[in-house]
Amino acid sequence: MAGSALKRLMAEYKQLTVNPPEGIIAGPVNEENFFEWEALITGPEGTCFEGGVFQTELKFPTDYPLNPPKMRFKTEMFHPNIYADGRVCISILHAPGDDPMGYESSAERWSPVQSVEKILLSVISMLAEPNDESGANVDASKMWRDDREKFYRIAGELVRKSLSL
Amino acid sequence: MRGIMLTATSFALTAAVLGNAYVQKKQFYPSVVYITKSHPSLAVLYLQAFVLVILMGKLFKKVFFGQLRAAEMEHLIERSWYAVTETCLAFTVFRDDFGPRFVAMFTLLLFVKCFHWLAEDRVDYMERSPVISWVFHMRVITLLVVLASFDLLFINYAYHSTLTKGASVQLVFGFEYAILLTVLINVFFKYVLHTIDLQSENPWENKAVYMLYTDLIMGFIKVFLYTAFVAIMIKIHTFPLFATRPMYLAMRSFKKAVHDVIMSRRAIRNMNTLYPDATAEDLATTDSICIICREDMVAGEPGAGGGGTCKKLPCNHIFHSSCLRSWFQRQQTCPTCRMDVLRLSVAAASQRLRQQGQQQQGGVGQQGQAGPGLGQQGNGQVPPVPGQGMPPFPPNFQFWLPQFQGGVPFPQPPVPPPPSSAAQPGASTATSPTTTGAASQGTSPGTSPGTSTATPTSWGTSLPNFPPPPNMGAPGMGGMLPNMFPSMMPPFMMPFGMSPPMPPPNFSGLSDEELHAMEGMERQHVQARIECLKNIQSLLDAAVIQMQQYSTLISGLGMPTVPVTPASTHTTSATSTVPTPTVQTGESPAPPSSPINPETLTSTAAQPSESSNDLSDLEGAVGFTSPAKETKDDAAEPAAESPEEQERNEVRRRRLQRLSSSETSTS
Ligand SMILES: [Zn+2]
Ligand SMILES: [Zn+2]
Repeated sequence: MAGSALKRLMAEYKQLTVNPPEGIIAGPVNEENFFEWEALITGPEGTCFEGGVFQTELKFPTDYPLNPPKMRFKTEMFHPNIYADGRVCISILHAPGDDPMGYESSAERWSPVQSVEKILLSVISMLAEPNDESGANVDASKMWRDDREKFYRIAGELVRKSLSL
Repeated sequence: MRGIMLTATSFALTAAVLGNAYVQKKQFYPSVVYITKSHPSLAVLYLQAFVLVILMGKLFKKVFFGQLRAAEMEHLIERSWYAVTETCLAFTVFRDDFGPRFVAMFTLLLFVKCFHWLAEDRVDYMERSPVISWVFHMRVITLLVVLASFDLLFINYAYHSTLTKGASVQLVFGFEYAILLTVLINVFFKYVLHTIDLQSENPWENKAVYMLYTDLIMGFIKVFLYTAFVAIMIKIHTFPLFATRPMYLAMRSFKKAVHDVIMSRRAIRNMNTLYPDATAEDLATTDSICIICREDMVAGEPGAGGGGTCKKLPCNHIFHSSCLRSWFQRQQTCPTCRMDVLRLSVAAASQRLRQQGQQQQGGVGQQGQAGPGLGQQGNGQVPPVPGQGMPPFPPNFQFWLPQFQGGVPFPQPPVPPPPSSAAQPGASTATSPTTTGAASQGTSPGTSPGTSTATPTSWGTSLPNFPPPPNMGAPGMGGMLPNMFPSMMPPFMMPFGMSPPMPPPNFSGLSDEELHAMEGMERQHVQARIECLKNIQSLLDAAVIQMQQYSTLISGLGMPTVPVTPASTHTTSATSTVPTPTVQTGESPAPPSSPINPETLTSTAAQPSESSNDLSDLEGAVGFTSPAKETKDDAAEPAAESPEEQERNEVRRRRLQRLSSSETSTS
């Protein structure tokens, strides 16, 4: 009998392959280790990230789903909620106990109800609607607020870069 | 590639050195003497030894681990850096013992350490991979045996060396290997636990608990060893700086282990005492999938090795007891709806008692059973109750709640207002407690925003969180109510005369009877508060309607005309009871900020507005002129003002002062 975390990850993987949500491809990098995943996210339509295909990695803790995975963009990104090293800062990925930004209600945080699919969907909606209050990338936040044109231009460049991979 | 080059060069150099010595001296012994005397030759030999050690390491790695995973490699390199730095620090302490032998032993120690770390990572990996082959088991077992014998050998050597030759650097080695041995034992236990888990057909529920206790015991041994080592080192040498970091880490992990064990015990206790097992009917009403592990739940069969049981939380969500237990170790909330189940279940237990006793409140009791109910249904105009399995609350639920809580501070005994000024600051101050209350309450409920307060059973627990009733709002409203809407004064306003008892912050110390008694009172208070809030709301609705009438009227009039006798019109309006709120709305044109549902607004406000229509002409004038006067400087006001007007202004000024002062004190 495999561990419960492993079983749940396998179940989620199966669900994602049988019934993939639009714009998302996700699965373990190597089927011998289900705790490291790779996910491809397509930029949401009608936004400045439209058309891009972004590569991300998810690392799951051994006590998943009691604790959230860590997510990182491997493609270069410029976004108010993505750190320079690619780490994603959204409330769904924060354990209910810690609140690094001090602004989230615990209702938005991680709980076992959430899943890989929900995380990726929230990331897509985050790409569509950045939250400029969380300063994961202060420059991007500022630009998003003050110089939307320039932000769109940079995003367009990143989309082109992501496709050339 | 570079490794191969280095190895080849090293072997070539060694061959050259040995060949050169043998050619020169022709005999074995003289050539050995020659090599040891010649520094370049010795350097080459040391390099060769180093290369050999690395080759040995690679061989071991190949035999016991095969290909290293990226994460393992990363981990290894990171730890090696720390180990090397600490070793250099240790060199400074044992300068006297420094020599080739010493270096060799430290290198060996470093290698053995690396293999311990790798073994640790490998056994942890068992949890992550679905495919564990028999080769894996063979490797792990032989590795553990080899490493354990290494550790024991060196500990034994160090022990005898210390006994015969006194304290030396061997003490450090002995201690290091002892620590490594504890690591190894820990790894071994984990391996055994994982293996049992893999072999068994059903999920092994208690594995997590055993893991916790293993960590606890090994953590304790480690901390004990470090403390003993530091004590001995201080006695014979100096403070061992190189041991501080690992010692700190050991203490931290021990502390965490203690904490985990405590939390786990608490979770198990709560699970067993507070939450009932889910029955087959309970499971039939839901989709019977445990949201934590995403697997089917079957109603508890006691025969299934103590496992397989499911627990039902007070919010009616059902989970595997093992899944729930590991979650409760981290959070005391429902994984699905985030209700603070610990508080709630205590209240629910007392409610069950009350239901047995008090049958006349059956209707309310049913609501309580059905989950979040009373607060919402009592108010009549709220979003639907979050259903089974539905992820968190709809957003407007959270919006609604602060409004409700904001009103709660209201129940202060109505203070008789200053007679002439009753009507004026009413609206402006009356809306402010709700909004400030909402602002402060919106953030405070902590882990379960609103959920705990929304259920009838937990009112008591949430009450202590309320901010002190803002006293600037209550008198104004209190004055308004009896004066202007005597017909709307409900009979259930009466309980407000006595202030509600403040329950203690937690219920654990109370007996069920006490809880029961307290809760009965609480329910009445809550109902009365809701009624009171409804009254306030209809007042505000009326005010808004009249405000709208004014604005349309004024826009129709164009330039307003200054009324000749404002004081006299005011007195007439005050006696006519109903339209008085119009005066307030005229003065404080901000009632839209009050949280009013526009739909109910029109219906509830219909009553006051129809009777006010005939007077609207006059009041329009009054309502408009007073803000115009307010903007003027008070001192510039003509002295011919009527005494009533002066008094009114004075009271208004004082109210404003009090308002601003209380605002600064609360914020
Ligand atoms: Zn479960
Ligand atoms: Zn729940």
